[in-house]
Amino acid sequence: MSLAETSSRARMRPRFDADRLLTLACIGLPLLGLILFFAYPMVIVFLRSITVGDSYGLGNYTEVLGSSGFWRATRHSLAMGGATTVLSVLLGFIIAHGLYRCAFRGKWLIRSVIVLPLLAPSLVQALGLIFLLGRNGVISRMLGVEIEIYGFWGLLIANTLYALPQAVMIIGAALVLLDARTYEAAEVMGAPPWRQFRDLTLPAARFGILNAAFVCFTITITDFGNAAVIGGDYSVLATEIYSQVVGQRNFNMGAVVGIMLLLPTVISYSIERQAMKRQQAGQITGQEPYRPSFAPLRDISMAALSLLICAGILSVIGIVVYASFVTLWPYNMALSPKHYDITLAGGYSSLWMTIFISLAAASGGTVAVFLMGLGLRRLPKAVAQPIQILAAMPAAVPGMVLGLAYILTFNSTATPLYLLYGTAALIAIVNFYHYHTQGFLTVMTGFRQLPSALEEAAGSLGAGLGRTARDIVAPFIAPMLVSVFFFLFMRSMVTLSAVVFLTTPDLSVAAVTIMRLDDAGLTSQAAAFSTCVMGVVCLAVLSMKVTLALLRRRGANKGAT
Amino acid sequence: MNTWTQTTALSIAALCLAAPTLADELTVYTALEEEEIAAYVEAAQAAMPDTEINVLRLSTGKLGARLLAEAENPQADVIWGWAVSAMMDPQILEMLEPYEAAGSDVLPEKFRSGDGKWFAPIGYMGAFCVNTARLEEKGLPMPSSWADLEDPAFKDEILMPDPNSSGTGYLHVNAVLQSMGEEAGWAQLAAVDPNMAQYTSSGSKPCKSARVGEYTVGISLAFTAMQSIEEGYPLAMVFPEGGVGYELEASGLMASSDNKEAAKAFLDWTMSDEVIGLYQTYKALITVPGVDASEAAEKAGLPAEISTILADVDFVKAAEDQMAVKDKWKEKFGR
Repeated sequence: MSLAETSSRARMRPRFDADRLLTLACIGLPLLGLILFFAYPMVIVFLRSITVGDSYGLGNYTEVLGSSGFWRATRHSLAMGGATTVLSVLLGFIIAHGLYRCAFRGKWLIRSVIVLPLLAPSLVQALGLIFLLGRNGVISRMLGVEIEIYGFWGLLIANTLYALPQAVMIIGAALVLLDARTYEAAEVMGAPPWRQFRDLTLPAARFGILNAAFVCFTITITDFGNAAVIGGDYSVLATEIYSQVVGQRNFNMGAVVGIMLLLPTVISYSIERQAMKRQQAGQITGQEPYRPSFAPLRDISMAALSLLICAGILSVIGIVVYASFVTLWPYNMALSPKHYDITLAGGYSSLWMTIFISLAAASGGTVAVFLMGLGLRRLPKAVAQPIQILAAMPAAVPGMVLGLAYILTFNSTATPLYLLYGTAALIAIVNFYHYHTQGFLTVMTGFRQLPSALEEAAGSLGAGLGRTARDIVAPFIAPMLVSVFFFLFMRSMVTLSAVVFLTTPDLSVAAVTIMRLDDAGLTSQAAAFSTCVMGVVCLAVLSMKVTLALLRRRGANKGAT
Repeated sequence: MNTWTQTTALSIAALCLAAPTLADELTVYTALEEEEIAAYVEAAQAAMPDTEINVLRLSTGKLGARLLAEAENPQADVIWGWAVSAMMDPQILEMLEPYEAAGSDVLPEKFRSGDGKWFAPIGYMGAFCVNTARLEEKGLPMPSSWADLEDPAFKDEILMPDPNSSGTGYLHVNAVLQSMGEEAGWAQLAAVDPNMAQYTSSGSKPCKSARVGEYTVGISLAFTAMQSIEEGYPLAMVFPEGGVGYELEASGLMASSDNKEAAKAFLDWTMSDEVIGLYQTYKALITVPGVDASEAAEKAGLPAEISTILADVDFVKAAEDQMAVKDKWKEKFGR
């Protein structure tokens, strides 16, 4: 036995070397991208933050740290980040748990509604909340009391709406793969459902929950859009950056705040890593997909809660879609299609380009995070750790800072990267790296559930990394890859903050058209255009899902014959 | 997975090839309004058939950020119709090359720079946007001056842009300070501060919030007010007694332009009789002597002699004081 093992190892040595090369490529290509399109621009931002006059120094930092406005904004940002994180992760867990661990009908409905905030342009969410909950909103008028939505609570709702689908995506990645056999064993041993939940589900989901918490916190403290429209006077760090850069054309000070925003993120990520160390990675071998049986109390309450959250999301977005058909919200409620006659700001022309860019960002991005996840599993911890931190960092950079960093970096003839400036490719790239963290952490959460024994078995059966990746890992990770793809696609269709600085006179995207229409005072037209964008995204996602289902069926048929 | 990577690589390569860098094109950065841009560019294109005019439209603040970020390798040939208070930022002036556009010499000195770096034949005004439906519902008196907004009945009913984030915010603050004098001006701002529901980061947002009935008064822009009234919102546009703030829309030549002939021709065109005729359709504020804004003004219900409602603004002083005023404002009223 041991002799056979040694000889087979000896035979496999050349393949292992080829494997090492493949591992290097797996990790090298995405890492190169991450360095060129994230780390390098951020270094340039850092240099701007320490530029004082014509030399370098810490003057900008002392000035920012000495201002009372900065500390107030920091307190607000941390409080808002914390509150949004708690709320989104809690609700996100409830929904993900409902989707993957409970038995009730109509999950497709929850699954499709929960992603709506991702494909809604930020204008839609802001308008929806104001039309619904504003001082002159539908609910205020119905109740006859003016709800004061502007400030902490409005911002908390807006941020949670945006963070929730991302929390569901990441926590879902942890729950979808739990092995049924452990639950069967627990059942046999007489463990009551709450013990199963506490001792099996929760620990298994911990990695996902921590990752989701990290993402929610980070995207909340970097968000400007919600803070500007619904935050009222509740100043946060992202509004500080806007005021420095856009209001006062004071680039270097804006860069300082941008760099400071990285701090809480790096700290929280390190804490998370520390927390994860105590949990043993990997699972027992042999996966049997968990098929929940109907438990009335658990399932009905879970379904009800999920439906309630979905109803909230639907009403916020639905009211804007409805308002886009209203003659003059809220004063003339007669229905009319007139707002869909859009001629200014380039009309509908930007829509098709945006689809193209989003598909490029989504497909390229999905491949990149998959390769990176694959490669990271095979790297020693000491090397993998810093790469992981770098890969998790992009969410900590506000879109505006990233967009301006891209101008500073790629509009310089010093490097051949200049060729990218002003191209659609650069917009696809900035969209991917802007949302790199979420894609990366979702895939990593999925990989975490992948039993390493499975890969080892494939390896000892003579499968190289390439085959293992294709035949073992990819099918296993496929659900996460699909959700990452759709996530990147949907965000690329509507994200504005970074892209607004990279469009050119003849290259515009849908989100910029929406902003221009709104800038021109044509808010209803902006809502109409947003509705079209959401419609197109829904159609695109639907057709891709149908294609996927058909492919799967064909694959299954082939397997059967 | 292989074909996936390949198609991605291919499509990215195709995208790179589509890079838009051709020779006889003119790149114009502007903050004018969409509707007028469309009309002007159509006319300009007819006047300059051999040059392809590419226009990038961004709001005043974002355009400034973009220009500064591109400073190392500027992409624009011309800055067209951009707030003069932003233009007078030394970082921006440094990028401009003096050029006296044909016809710009008729402008009073106040409306062009001494060294020929910018000229401003047009401008825009601030205004109060008052939602008449909400005013009535709340039983509030129609305000006609800044002092009227001190009335405690207006508590939490007024929005104004933050001068630290918005050029429109500074436009109003500066007008109050310059028309009332430093001391009285700051006292006036302090007196309305308790009634301010929010200081917003966008200049048009106060008007947009007021028009849908979220608040009663939005201290904002005349353009947004007029546009909202035209759409049918129950809105009244009020110019505060004692003078409303206004801003010049200046143009200038980028020193880095590699197509200066076309850039100069375009700047000349922005002072041509043809376009001045168009200004009369779209602009309430025209600084060219002898040209009244009758058409646009009448449409908006403005007095024929527009100068009667404008504050007496010294733009050079406004630019010089900018930093100090914004800092002081933040210290006193920052939230």
